[in-house]
Amino acid sequence: MATTTQTTSAHHGDHGHAAHGPELQHHFETPAQQKEAATLGMWAFLVTEVMLFGGIFLAYAVYRWAFPDVWAEAAHHLNTPLGTVNTVVLLVSSLTVALAVNAAEHGRRTRLLQLLGVTLVLGVAFLGIKAFEYSEKFAHCAGYKTPIAWATGGELLGEQECLVPGRAFAFPAEHGAATEEHASTNKTPHQLFYLLYFIATGLHAVHMLIGLTIVSILTFLAWRGFFTPTYFTPVEIGGLYWHLIDVVWVFLFPLFYLVH
Amino acid sequence: MATSKHDTPGDAHGHQEPAHYDGHAHGHISVATYYRVFGALMLLMFLTVGAWWLEGVVAIPRLLGVIVALTIASTKTLLIVLFFMHIKVSSRMSQLYAAASLVGLLMLFIVIMGDYFARGWPPQLGPLP
Repeated sequence: MATTTQTTSAHHGDHGHAAHGPELQHHFETPAQQKEAATLGMWAFLVTEVMLFGGIFLAYAVYRWAFPDVWAEAAHHLNTPLGTVNTVVLLVSSLTVALAVNAAEHGRRTRLLQLLGVTLVLGVAFLGIKAFEYSEKFAHCAGYKTPIAWATGGELLGEQECLVPGRAFAFPAEHGAATEEHASTNKTPHQLFYLLYFIATGLHAVHMLIGLTIVSILTFLAWRGFFTPTYFTPVEIGGLYWHLIDVVWVFLFPLFYLVH
Repeated sequence: MATSKHDTPGDAHGHQEPAHYDGHAHGHISVATYYRVFGALMLLMFLTVGAWWLEGVVAIPRLLGVIVALTIASTKTLLIVLFFMHIKVSSRMSQLYAAASLVGLLMLFIVIMGDYFARGWPPQLGPLP
């Protein structure tokens, strides 16, 4: 690009940043173009993320198609109220992130810090609820009723139940004649549901951890006054990542918690 | 879909006026819109949980339940992508990338599920080896 070269050489003494802020890299003509390039790069990455989760959703589709009854029975043992609460938590966090990007765009530093702070709290709350759900499943495998009982050696679980995939996996026996004839075969398909559940929600939780790290860094940078109305690209593309995590959960929630 | 096209790199070529440095030359989404979208998302969330609860009370075909759940999830995704992720006011190129993820998913599902069905899926249920 001839124009860029001329402009750069004309301002060589001040490193070429005279006509604009120091955030504009030399190989871009305008901040808008630079922001466009960064956003486009983020979208290219998000497409690969969609394909990553797409593979898991595909495996889910294949096996739910084969074992619809098993799916309905297995999903019954997930904690739907907690899943619903987590959905609300994540939707609210998506709103706070969208508002944070808006605050950054308008140079409202205090509001940006507040919104990023709320997002952090909501993200940690989501992971806390998720961790409780996981620990409940592991506590059942260990033979205890709740994670607290497991830690303190409290109340034992009456029936044998272990929904964590692996050698110890034991789906609780259903009462009724219909299931008894399948008693020898129903174990593995149920495990398939929980295998996909732990892989999908686990990978989602890893993304939440990465998202929380990104929001933490953004909060630190905002606190240092790094962002201006002309340069808030990190907030914008960090927000894109957070929204993608939300979109993934929007599908995970009905596909695992709301199955009949 | 795309509203402002005046700031594409081609148009900006040769211009170095401060007007180009405003950083939000693309269209804009207001705070009020964010709140409205959030309200719609919450409403859809309650609808999908409500539909699930209803399926437990009234006998509804299982396939219908799945279609309802996936339709609501897709609508929520569309709202998040269009407004929260700014695709509604993004450049054509970003819109193309966002659409590419949908095309990629479609290819993944159509080709692989097609292969499964062509080979007879679900298989005969019976004792696992």
